[in-house]
Amino acid sequence: MANSLPLKGIRVVNFGWVWAGPVVGQTLGFLGAEVLKVESAARVDMTRNLPPFADGIPGPNRSLSNHACWAGNGSVSLNLKEPEALQLACRLIAASDVVVENFGPGVMERLGLGYERLREVKPDIILFSMPAAGLYGPLEHVRTYGLSLTSITGLDSLVGYKGGDPVPVENAFSDPYAGIFGAFAVLTALNHRRNTGQGQHVDFSQQEAVMQMVGPAYMDYVLNGRIGGPKSNAHPTAVTAPYAVFPCAGDDRWISIAVYTEDEWQGLIAAMGSPAWAAEFATQSARLTNIDPLHERIAAWTCAFDDRELAARLQEHGVAASPVLNVGDLLDDPHFRARGTFVEVTHPLGFRETIYGAYVKTSRSHPEIHPGPIIGQDNERVFKQILGVSAAEYERLTREKIIY
Amino acid sequence: MTANTPAAGRGALAGIRVIDFGQMVSAPYCAKLFSDYGADVIKVEPREGDAARSAGPFPGDLPHPEKSGLYFINNTNKRGVTCDVGSAEGRDLLLRLLQQTDVLIENNLPQRMRAWALDYATLAATNPDLVVISITPFGQSGPYSGWNGYDLNAFHLSGASSRYCGRPNETPLEHGTFAADYFGAVTAAAWGLAAVYGREQAGGGQQIDVSCAEAIAATFVGGQNIGCYAQEGRFDKRTGVGMPLGAPATILPCRDGHVWMLALEPGQWNGLRKVMGDPEWASLEMFQDMYSRAQNADVIYSFIREWTMEHGKMEIMEKCQAAGCPVTAVFTIAEAAEQPHLKARDYFVDMEHPQLGRLKNLGAPFKLPASPGGPTRPAPLLGQHNADVYGELLGLSAADVRQLARRGIL
Repeated sequence: MANSLPLKGIRVVNFGWVWAGPVVGQTLGFLGAEVLKVESAARVDMTRNLPPFADGIPGPNRSLSNHACWAGNGSVSLNLKEPEALQLACRLIAASDVVVENFGPGVMERLGLGYERLREVKPDIILFSMPAAGLYGPLEHVRTYGLSLTSITGLDSLVGYKGGDPVPVENAFSDPYAGIFGAFAVLTALNHRRNTGQGQHVDFSQQEAVMQMVGPAYMDYVLNGRIGGPKSNAHPTAVTAPYAVFPCAGDDRWISIAVYTEDEWQGLIAAMGSPAWAAEFATQSARLTNIDPLHERIAAWTCAFDDRELAARLQEHGVAASPVLNVGDLLDDPHFRARGTFVEVTHPLGFRETIYGAYVKTSRSHPEIHPGPIIGQDNERVFKQILGVSAAEYERLTREKIIY
Repeated sequence: MTANTPAAGRGALAGIRVIDFGQMVSAPYCAKLFSDYGADVIKVEPREGDAARSAGPFPGDLPHPEKSGLYFINNTNKRGVTCDVGSAEGRDLLLRLLQQTDVLIENNLPQRMRAWALDYATLAATNPDLVVISITPFGQSGPYSGWNGYDLNAFHLSGASSRYCGRPNETPLEHGTFAADYFGAVTAAAWGLAAVYGREQAGGGQQIDVSCAEAIAATFVGGQNIGCYAQEGRFDKRTGVGMPLGAPATILPCRDGHVWMLALEPGQWNGLRKVMGDPEWASLEMFQDMYSRAQNADVIYSFIREWTMEHGKMEIMEKCQAAGCPVTAVFTIAEAAEQPHLKARDYFVDMEHPQLGRLKNLGAPFKLPASPGGPTRPAPLLGQHNADVYGELLGLSAADVRQLARRGIL
C-alpha cells in the first residue's frame, strides 16, 4: 500500500500533560499511531490557556502554542474522578496497545490506573511512565520544572560564558527531547512485545535520558577527574578552533563558524583575504593555545558583514558556517520554507494558524498534520464506535459530566 | 555466533541488524540506542577510524585512537569493522553487508554520500527493505543541504540560541555539549525505529531524513513561538534570566555553587519564605504574586541572593523541596556523576575496555524491565571484528580478510 504510515493500527492512550507527554503522543501520531489524549474540562491543562490565542480571543481551544506542541494527538474527555469515567478509560485501554503518562510516581496508582490494574484489563499492555527522576530512588519525588530538570543532570553547569556563572536556558529543551526520546522507548517495548508477546512498564527517567547529552563532559570526569564548566560556544571536547559564534553587522546578528580540518582552515583564511596574522595560528595546537586572540581576530573581520551573505561566502570556501537565526527569521528562511518545516493549517473552529509540520522527512510515508485537538474532539467516535456505547448511554454520560 | 554477538532474544531490539556508517556523535549515538537495546549493530569505519577517535577526551589528554572518551561512550555494544568505501571493492563489500541489514545509520554530508555513489537511490536498489537513517545538520533537501556543517552550525540555525540562551546583545549560546547532534540522534532513533517496526505496514524501506537544525527549530523553538510570530508579527529573544515573566525563576549563586531558584505558585512562594525564615521584605505587597515579583526582579533577586549566598546548594534544595518548592541544586559534572539517586538506580555501570581498563559509563537511558538494555560490551577497537563480520555475513575466509586488509581495502 502506497504512503502507509508505519505505526498505523497502533492505538495509544495518552495521559501525558503539559509538554513532554504530549510530544511522546505527537511523535507516535505523526508516524501513524492513533493517539488519544485523555483530559477533562474539569481540570484544563495549563498549556491550553497559554497566550497568544487564535485571533486574540482567549479560550482553552485557541492557544497557538498548545496546538503546535500537541499536534498529532487526538482527545477524549473523561472526568476521572467519576468511577464510570475510570471504567471507560479501562475499556479504552483494553482496546489499546500503549498507555503514556508523565505524572509523578504513584499518581497512576492513585487514579486507579496502576500497571497491575492495566495488566488485568490488557495483559500485554505497555505502560510508558516518564517521571522527572524515574519511578524509584531517593529523588523519586523531586519537584522540578522542565526548564530546571537539566540542573540535576550536570547539563546546566556547562552552559554560559567562558569562566562565568551558568546561564539558564530559558525553556525546557528537555521536554521535546524527552518526548521524542520517549517515543523511541515506546517503540523498543512494542518490538519486544512483537518478539515475545510480553508487555511491560517502562521506567523512563527524564533526568537519565537528558543526562546522556552530558556524555562527553562525563567522560572527561571519568578519565581525568575534570569538572567542566561554561565555556561559551567552544568545542565540547576542546579539540579544534576556531569554533564559535561571531558578531555580524546589524542589531543582534551573529554567525557560527566551525573549523575542524586543515582544508577548512585554509578556506577560512582565503575567505578572509589571507590576512598576515593568520600565520600566528598556522597549526591546530597554535589555534587552541591562543583561542581567545584567534576568536578576537575573526570577530574583528566578521563584524563588518551581513550574517547570511557571510555564511554563503564562507560556504563557497568550504567553511562550515551558518547565520544565527532568531524566531522571526525562521518562518521565512528559504531552507525551512523549502522543507515545509512550518505549515499553515485550518483549525476545526475555522481559524488559520501556523504550527510545525513533520520535522523529519520520510521518503515513503507522509504524515498528515492537524493542529492539537479540541478537548474531547474524538469522544463520539471513540465511545460509540470503538467501545460500543449506545447513543442513549453516551447522551447520559455526557449530561452527567462523566464524559467531560 | 561469536561471543560478541548479542544473546538472541534478550534485548528489546533483538533481530534487527544495523550498520552504523557514521562518525562523531549524531549517527553513532543513534546507533548506540539500537545496540544498547539489543540490535546487532556493526560499525563500519574508514581506515583512519571515526573522527571521534581523535576528539578526546583522552586520559591525561594524550591522544590515542583507542582511548577517546567520546568514541567509548557512543559506541558500546557494537561490533567494529573497517572498510575503505572510496575503493570499488570496499564499496562493494559495504553494499553486500547492506543486503543483509535492516537499518543503515549515517551522518555524512549528502554530497559525500553521492561522491561515494552511496546515495539513497543506489541503496534502495541494493536492498528495497533497507531503512536509511540520515542525520545531518541541515538535511537532504533545501538550499542549505549542500552546506558544510557541524553540530554548532545546526544548533545556531535553529533559533534556539537567539531565543533562549545568553544575555541580551551578547553572544547566543549552545549548551556546552553536542546538543544538536544528540537531539538529532534521538529524533532519528524514534522515527527510524518506527520505520523498521512498521516496514511491512509502510510497504518497504525508506529514507529517514533528519536535519538536526530543523528538529530543534520545529519542536523546541517553533512549537512555542511560531504561531505567535505568524499571527502577530512579534517575537521574543533571550533575556539571560530563567523566566522573565515570573519570579523567582532563574539560576542564582549560593555558598558553594548555584541553585535553580523556582517559586512561582503561591504554595511554592510561601514554602520558600518559610525556608528563608520569613524575612520581613518577603511580606511586601509587591512580592505577593509571580508577575509583580518579576516586575521587581532586580530587588527580589538581590534579596534572595543574600540568603542563598549563606547556604549550600544541597541544603537549599533539600529544605525547599521539603517545603513544596521546586528548587534544585545546579549539579557540577562531578556531583551529577556521584549522586546517590542515580547510583541507587544503577545508572552508572562498570566496563572493562582493553585499552582504557576498568571504568565507569553512563548506563541505559531508560529501563525496560522485561528486556533490559544498556551498555555491556565496550566500543570496538578499530577493525576488531573484521574477521568475524566479513566471515559471518559475507563468507570471507580469514585469509581473504587478511589480504583485503593488506591491500588497504579494510
